[in-house]
Amino acid sequence: MARTVPRPEMTLAEKAYVPEIVKGLKVTMGHFLRGLFTPETLPVQSYPETPSVIPRNYRAKHRLMKRPDGEPRCVACMMCSTACPANCITIQAGESADDRIEKKPVKFEIDLLVCVFCGLCAEACPVDAIRMDTRIVALAADSREKFKVGLKDLMSWEPKDYPDNDTQSQKAPGGLLNAEAKKQWGIS
Amino acid sequence: MIDFDLPFLLAIAKFALVFIPLCLIPICIFMERKGASLMQDRYGPNRANIPLLGGIRLFGFVQNLPDGIKLFTKENFIPRGAHTFWYLLAPMIPLAVALLTPSVIPWFGPMVVEGSRGLATVSGQILDADSGVLVLFALSGLSIYGVVLGAWASNSKYALLGGMRASAQMISYEVSMGLSAAGIFLIVGSFSLTQIVEWQAAHTWGIVVQPVGFVLFLTSLFAETGRAPFDMAEGESEIVAGYFVEYSAIRFGLFYMGEYAHIAIAGALLSTLFLGGYQIPFMDTEAVRANLGFVSGAIVAAVGLSCLGIAYMVRRWARIYSRMQTTDAVDRKREYNILNGAFSVIGLGLLAVAAALMVLVHPAKGGLGAADIWPLWVNLGTAAVQVGTLVVKILAICWIFVWVRWTLPRFRYDQVMALGWKIMLNIALVNLLVTAVVAKLVKG
Repeated sequence: MARTVPRPEMTLAEKAYVPEIVKGLKVTMGHFLRGLFTPETLPVQSYPETPSVIPRNYRAKHRLMKRPDGEPRCVACMMCSTACPANCITIQAGESADDRIEKKPVKFEIDLLVCVFCGLCAEACPVDAIRMDTRIVALAADSREKFKVGLKDLMSWEPKDYPDNDTQSQKAPGGLLNAEAKKQWGIS
Repeated sequence: MIDFDLPFLLAIAKFALVFIPLCLIPICIFMERKGASLMQDRYGPNRANIPLLGGIRLFGFVQNLPDGIKLFTKENFIPRGAHTFWYLLAPMIPLAVALLTPSVIPWFGPMVVEGSRGLATVSGQILDADSGVLVLFALSGLSIYGVVLGAWASNSKYALLGGMRASAQMISYEVSMGLSAAGIFLIVGSFSLTQIVEWQAAHTWGIVVQPVGFVLFLTSLFAETGRAPFDMAEGESEIVAGYFVEYSAIRFGLFYMGEYAHIAIAGALLSTLFLGGYQIPFMDTEAVRANLGFVSGAIVAAVGLSCLGIAYMVRRWARIYSRMQTTDAVDRKREYNILNGAFSVIGLGLLAVAAALMVLVHPAKGGLGAADIWPLWVNLGTAAVQVGTLVVKILAICWIFVWVRWTLPRFRYDQVMALGWKIMLNIALVNLLVTAVVAKLVKG
């Protein structure tokens, strides 16, 4: 049994158009004056001039974490490229110069046009080497090739752009904890 | 042999008034865009600027410049199967009509000047015809031909539907438009627009004696100019863009400019019939002539004060803007400094000019010149004051057009027809009947 919803009856004033139109005009004029005299209250963001505040846990462009000596933390275990549903990560493993570590990536390439920003690579990484917390969301380039970012690009971040309590980032060269970490690792 | 005496020269000079609605087009577009954006809680156009002039944006007014350049330089596309001649002709009609119609609008009161053959009266209309208002109605009805012709010639079903809707709507609302204006003709007893304005100056504004006629006329004008809530000729969800869907570049721009010119003409017509035309409230032409120095001074002072008001708003915006964390703070600060300085200087300058006008322009002081050109000075000054008054009234009405467009949702097509034929026509007829009876009783 269908339920009938009664339509609201219009009053005489509503049927006569004009009083309702005057009400509507009042509303729009209120908005106009508000925008004219208090533009700061408008729910508007002048995008490139006032940058968006993007939370740290937003999945943005990737970065590769660095050891205290500036080498990539990545051990080329291929977990991320295996987990990647879009197959956008290409890794070539090479021998690490450090005796304590077996492998390092010679080539680490992410095709950002193919990436779906699912975050599974960061989840899969056993050594916390790949993160997606750069807050870089405006990706732009003039050719498809330039969207394939390599080791150099992924590691070109500065510890000062990350919070002080982010200990893994601060251990990288230039970070607050770099000297301490170097001593711990036995690197001069 | 033509003798170039003063009345003849003035009659030639009056042709410059034709371009007033054309000059109002960019102002109307600016009002439309900025009004729309602020009513929708956004900033509106604020990117276009002139780098050579310190990056000024003039609150978005500069946006007209890139828009115009874009329209002029885009490809003029002619669709396959279009009737090329009519297709190219159609966009010219609305703008041509918009250039013709100001010729019958009285821009200033009739002035009496001394020519080589004695005193001659120079009318405020370029085309001083007793049937002035009929010419005006006929001309403004012509602009629909551009719409229908363009729609038909562009060989597109969507355009044709838009054109048909526009013409049907035009026919429906022309009727109630004519009938609602007929009341004022009955009361005044003349079709001459100058006489209608003079009657209003002598008695009272048309809106007071014909309030119902005013509302009906305004509504019909919305429909006549094809503006929301009666923008049946357009309709993104139904017929893509309407009658100009196949037009690109400046041919589309001509339709676009024709629409705004039509609004300016509609504003001139409405203010002439119902809002006292070129008359300043409570001052007829004689009063303006007698106190020309004071009146012109007061007007210039009002403009100067509004410039100072704009400068104040600029300072206010600059304060608000400096609190926001933006990357273009330096540019904006420079721009606001330039605007603040410019408007302050212009405002103060105009106040000084106003004071000078009030003191100097007086027959006893000899005016700004010898006594023999004083009458001409008074005539031209009065005409300038009255043209300015009419332009202010037109702009106010244009603002109402914008305001209503961004307030009301559009009617469905059958609702437009029902409103036109079943409601407005009846009210207009009853209004006309009552007016006729009352006018007969009062005037005898």
